[in-house]
Amino acid sequence: MFKAFNDAFLYELNEIRNSFYKLSLITIFPILSFIFIIAIFDKGVASNLPICVVDNDHSKLSRNLLFNINSNETLNIKKVAQDEKEAIKYIKSSEVYAIVVIPSHFQKDILNHKETKVTALLNTQYILIGKIIKAALFSVISSSSAQIEFVKSLQSTQNIDISMAMIVPIKMQVNSFFNTYKNYFLFLVSALLPSIWQIFIVITTIVSFGTLFKAKKDKDFFDSKYIEAKIIGKLLPYTFAFMILGILYILYIYGVRGWIFEGSLAILFFAMFLSVIAYQAIALGLFVTGFDYARTLSLGAVYTAPAFAFLGVTFPVYSMNLFATFWRDMLPVSYLVEIQISQANYGAPVYYELDRLFYIFLFWLVFIPVFIRFRMRYSK
Amino acid sequence: MNFFDVLKGEIRLVFTDIAIVLTIIGGVLLYSFLYPQPYVKQSVSELSVSIVDLDKSDVSRSLSFSIDSTPQISVNRHDLSKKDALEAIVSQEVKGVIIIPAHFKRDLMLGKSPTIVVGVDNSYFLIFGAVLEGAMKSIMTQSAGIKVVSLLKKSIPIQSAKKIYSPYTLNEINLFNKDNSYTQYVIPAVFILILQQTMLIGLGILGGSINERVSIGVRGYYNDAKVWQMILSRVIIFGGIFFIHMMFYFGFSFSFFSVTHIANITNLVVFGIVFLSAVLALGVFLGALFNTREIATPAVLFSSLPLVFSVGFIWPLEAIPEFVKVLSWLSPSTPAIDGFLKLNQMGAKLSLVIDNFELLLAQIVVYSVLAYIVIHHRVHKQS
Repeated sequence: MFKAFNDAFLYELNEIRNSFYKLSLITIFPILSFIFIIAIFDKGVASNLPICVVDNDHSKLSRNLLFNINSNETLNIKKVAQDEKEAIKYIKSSEVYAIVVIPSHFQKDILNHKETKVTALLNTQYILIGKIIKAALFSVISSSSAQIEFVKSLQSTQNIDISMAMIVPIKMQVNSFFNTYKNYFLFLVSALLPSIWQIFIVITTIVSFGTLFKAKKDKDFFDSKYIEAKIIGKLLPYTFAFMILGILYILYIYGVRGWIFEGSLAILFFAMFLSVIAYQAIALGLFVTGFDYARTLSLGAVYTAPAFAFLGVTFPVYSMNLFATFWRDMLPVSYLVEIQISQANYGAPVYYELDRLFYIFLFWLVFIPVFIRFRMRYSK
Repeated sequence: MNFFDVLKGEIRLVFTDIAIVLTIIGGVLLYSFLYPQPYVKQSVSELSVSIVDLDKSDVSRSLSFSIDSTPQISVNRHDLSKKDALEAIVSQEVKGVIIIPAHFKRDLMLGKSPTIVVGVDNSYFLIFGAVLEGAMKSIMTQSAGIKVVSLLKKSIPIQSAKKIYSPYTLNEINLFNKDNSYTQYVIPAVFILILQQTMLIGLGILGGSINERVSIGVRGYYNDAKVWQMILSRVIIFGGIFFIHMMFYFGFSFSFFSVTHIANITNLVVFGIVFLSAVLALGVFLGALFNTREIATPAVLFSSLPLVFSVGFIWPLEAIPEFVKVLSWLSPSTPAIDGFLKLNQMGAKLSLVIDNFELLLAQIVVYSVLAYIVIHHRVHKQS
């Protein structure tokens, strides 16, 4: 049995050495995809986002506010429009993401204690960008407004502490546990890389078996009493390759980029190992539905491509419907990313991860029908 | 060979190939159902938080109560210490913690500003926004109430006391996707990419199959067909099928998932046809390059995630490096997603998407010429 396993393992290593395509699938293709995603989110924070302003007041206070807005690192006044109609054109062509309108009589109203409002029209079609701009505007406007209030109050109280307390009776301190407040690199990249990684595992497994069948070498290859050992031997070079790729992206994010990893890398790498084999089992599970190379690739694409949306990193799981949570449960990568987050961010003790590890392991059971189908096909 | 024989040959090749049919018909329909699923409920529902009330006064209790009554937050736990509350976050029981400090009431009365700590699990970024928004709202209201009370103590009439509690405030108006709906955010963009990727895979499998047959010497209509006849056949077959798909997405799927569709139908169709033509040209070109039928699916699949994120609707273009942007212009989806969002989601006129048109037209010309050259070279030199 060990010989069958060993033969298959060496056979596959040789295949990889002789095929530029197979070698690329476990080296340059996934690495280039990783680099692309990392490059997109490399900055992590969005700064100098273009906005448009309409100043209907042209007073000292309105100019002062515009100066404060432009000084904010997130915002950049790119356009100054005469009226809202002109400004809307800029937002529809995506030249700017928001419009800030200062009303006429802005200064007069403030000095006369009349309530006045600065209006922000936000392009919330781009939800994330809209949120970032809204938060920046909110902070500029509250602090600019508080400055004015503070000066006014100081005139009557003559006491800095009392004036401060009058303006801000309750202070609020926002602590974000587990991630730096404005940086999106960690959010998105740490979930996108595993999503890409699982696509490569499934596709590579299908390519490895598909090419064998297409070249009609499958009968020779599986001409053995130990079909299971042959299958596992053939998969194993890729198991190693994807473990290395997985370890590489984790080391990049938490080592090279220096994001904090609170928990145990060993637990995460163990989960990764379970996941690679789980995905290899699933890929073969798809393959044995018809032993057809091109068709299995289509099935693999349908299964792996949408995974990122179901992870719950961009949209919370508890707001998903039943079908979405079901589909999510059918993807080993959802458990893997949960473990990654809970180890990296919370440093959760191992017993919190046991059920997740077990769920990933359950996908190994797909090997049972796979082995049965292969046996039915070759042992005669 | 006459054109109708070529067309018949191509139709037979496409519809007898299960992998192609599975992708360009099954895939397109399945994805239109699958992709919107995570977002069907649209908005983020109530978020569970734990309150650590170290003050235990009537004021702190009323603050807890007002936090609980905000639509974004439900207070699920009351912990005695910050440590207990953090454990509840790790075990995923709650997503945020609000800590009201000891002596909260006393400090308020003395006119010192006590600090409330809001801690949220920032591992999931939407959650962060929701807790913060909810907590901010109730704390601000509470804070404003206290301001008015303290001004009243100084016997300022309530009318002006209310008015001067802030010189000015921010009034936000959401344009376009008014309710911050995620379906509205993701679907219009992802559907364009699905149309492109499935069509590219279909054309890629077809092109790869023909090259495979030519290389092993299987003769067929493609040996005698003129290049323009083959290209025109694919325009008719794939263009026709995907035009129907596009209408299905924009018409049926968008209404079904209540996604805005405010574009003028003529504009949408004109822009859509230009987009489909660019994808056709690219697909025929890629198909001609592929040596085997199995290359198309992986090649197209690997490009999907990078393509979505380099368009600029999720992460701002201002923050994306130049080389990524330039590479992304090779794909019709980049100008198309941007253009469709402007037309259909934001109600822009055609004149505002002229740049997108130009890029798509350039792609049509370049990819058609390349496709012609490669097919001519491969099929005809060898037969």
